[in-house]
Amino acid sequence: MAITRINIGPVHPSTHGVIRLVADIDGDTVVNLEPHIGFLHRGVEKLVETRMYMQSPPYMEKLDYVAPMSYDEAYVAAVEKAMGVEVKERAMWVRTILLELQRIASHLLWLGTMANDVGQFFTVFMWCFKDRDLILRLLEEASGARMFYVNMRIGGLIRDLPPGFDDRARETLNYMEKRIGEYEDFLEKNPIFIERMRGVGVMNRDKAIELGVTGPVLRGSGVSYDVRKDNPYYVYDKLNFEPQARSEGDCFARYKVRMLEMRESIKLVKDALSKMPGGDALGMQVRLILPSAKNREVTLSREMPRGECMMYMVADPQKPYRLSIRSPSFINLAALNEIAKGCRTADIFAIMGSLDLVMGDADR
Amino acid sequence: MSDLNTIVSTYLGVSGILAEIIGIVAYAVAVSILIVAFDYVFGWVERKTIAKIQKRHGPTYAGKYGILQNMADFVKLLSKEHVVPKRADKLLFLPTIPAMLALSVFLIFLIPLTPELIETNIGLGLLVILVLLSFMPLIIFANGFGSGNKFAAISAQRSVVMLLSYEIPLVFVIAAVGVLANGYTLSGIMSAQNHWWFVFLMPIGFFVFFIVMLAELERPPFDMREADNELIAGWLTDVSAPYYTLALFLDYTRMFLGSLLIAILFFGGWNGPVLPPVVWLLLKVFIISFFIMIVRATTVRMRIDRLLRFGWTWLLPLSLLNLILIYLLFIG
Repeated sequence: MAITRINIGPVHPSTHGVIRLVADIDGDTVVNLEPHIGFLHRGVEKLVETRMYMQSPPYMEKLDYVAPMSYDEAYVAAVEKAMGVEVKERAMWVRTILLELQRIASHLLWLGTMANDVGQFFTVFMWCFKDRDLILRLLEEASGARMFYVNMRIGGLIRDLPPGFDDRARETLNYMEKRIGEYEDFLEKNPIFIERMRGVGVMNRDKAIELGVTGPVLRGSGVSYDVRKDNPYYVYDKLNFEPQARSEGDCFARYKVRMLEMRESIKLVKDALSKMPGGDALGMQVRLILPSAKNREVTLSREMPRGECMMYMVADPQKPYRLSIRSPSFINLAALNEIAKGCRTADIFAIMGSLDLVMGDADR
Repeated sequence: MSDLNTIVSTYLGVSGILAEIIGIVAYAVAVSILIVAFDYVFGWVERKTIAKIQKRHGPTYAGKYGILQNMADFVKLLSKEHVVPKRADKLLFLPTIPAMLALSVFLIFLIPLTPELIETNIGLGLLVILVLLSFMPLIIFANGFGSGNKFAAISAQRSVVMLLSYEIPLVFVIAAVGVLANGYTLSGIMSAQNHWWFVFLMPIGFFVFFIVMLAELERPPFDMREADNELIAGWLTDVSAPYYTLALFLDYTRMFLGSLLIAILFFGGWNGPVLPPVVWLLLKVFIISFFIMIVRATTVRMRIDRLLRFGWTWLLPLSLLNLILIYLLFIG
């Protein structure tokens, strides 16, 4: 049998961002699928070394442009840890709320693009973008920007939640809960969708651990590992939520995990809104940052919408000496070749969609 | 050409060969205008309908309610450069889309649109249409391989797989229609549905035929040949400006053809009270096309190997069952 080699991307309707896949196809079966990355490499890790600490958050946000606030927060948290600064009590709650809202927004964008990848003609995509806009509106109220927020400051935030945010957030979240049910009905009652997702791109538990994937991809393979639960930061240990895991390890499991996660996030935000203490959430305006001597090397991990992100920072006065990021998309992308082998040509895109890759995050 | 002849001679007062020629030309022009009008209107209706389903507005700027948007797109596409890839086999690549368009238009010419104009009503009309319709996937195959693009080549392969998966059930359903109507002339089929539309007499056959038509017309969920998220544009990947315009026309012309066939075979064609027959026929076509559109906005693309399995494990037995049931109930 002759093997056809086709180039998918970097300019292709369904490569998320800019990735080039070189697929060797035998008939309709994928023999080998090799991702080529680096089209969006901006050298952020090196760039950060030349900037002062609080000049860097805007760069960090551009890494994962689907969930910018989570990177912003992870970086600022790393700086705080290096400085040994305590985050204000209310700021922790506000950050948690904003991060969870960001997670819902990110998952909504994923849902739209994934539905497109399996051949849904833009209906779910448009609905998701419309609903994501409501979340973005909440984030705009809280931070002043819709896409790149840069609202984290050392020890807190640039501004507190505006008055009346509670009610508006609750209203939006109630609506969102209903909408997620509608999405599930729309997709899961379609036997073709189930057929496209179930049993496709199976990654079993051992393989998932071996490959080091994290986030919904790992939880879809039956490992209930969630940084928010297993290594809680901020106020996640005081909140009521369950990490969602499914054991099948196929595209449908990964899809379902994210859908359930959105519901959990809604629950979590509502819980946090009701338990939130009063007080002050503003961060400090810092002109001179001197890391404490004992914390020169800092590592911290965060559960981002795409998986576990780790920040390793070697701190110098004013500027980081070195910043290394373990980005979830990069590690999850490594699983692509493993699980795409032996699948059909059309499944490549279903698998890509279910991995939820953001190339800015993978290339850094 | 007797009827056209009489119409022309009564209205224009000419007779003989001249009347015949005028009649033929007038009919051709009228049907062509109808096809272009359908293509244009449905291009717009589809954009608007899908936009409404997706909570968008659709085209709004060009003309009232964006009615001129398709014209704008059409002019824009025509003003683009026509690029033929170097690796393309020009003999295979260039004539295929015009040929397909010509074939679709020709097939519509074969369909009698009103009972008065039955000269298009050739003896084995439905079978002729079936045979010519089966050429379409083969033309797509030729185009896909001729363009020398790998995505188009995959699309060409899929085209043949699709041909294998739905052509046989289609033949069985058409055989059942022939059994019920006692013949294959289209006007005979329509007059056989005077009391009961065939959709009520053989719902299974309609189900199979509708699915097969969706596949035949490259409509979702069976648009694997054109799968834009997978194969960029499938066999149309390397087709550029003027030819792409033709391809868009082809899309809607084929949809018109498919809806006409569904309307004639299962919904009584021109049968209906009060309104003139051609209005009934076009009304039914409109509703069926609208339904096909809604299917497009609300479904997910099937996988090609699943379609093959679906065709052989569901459509084929169902169409056979349909044929047997029809035979036992109405003939045996």
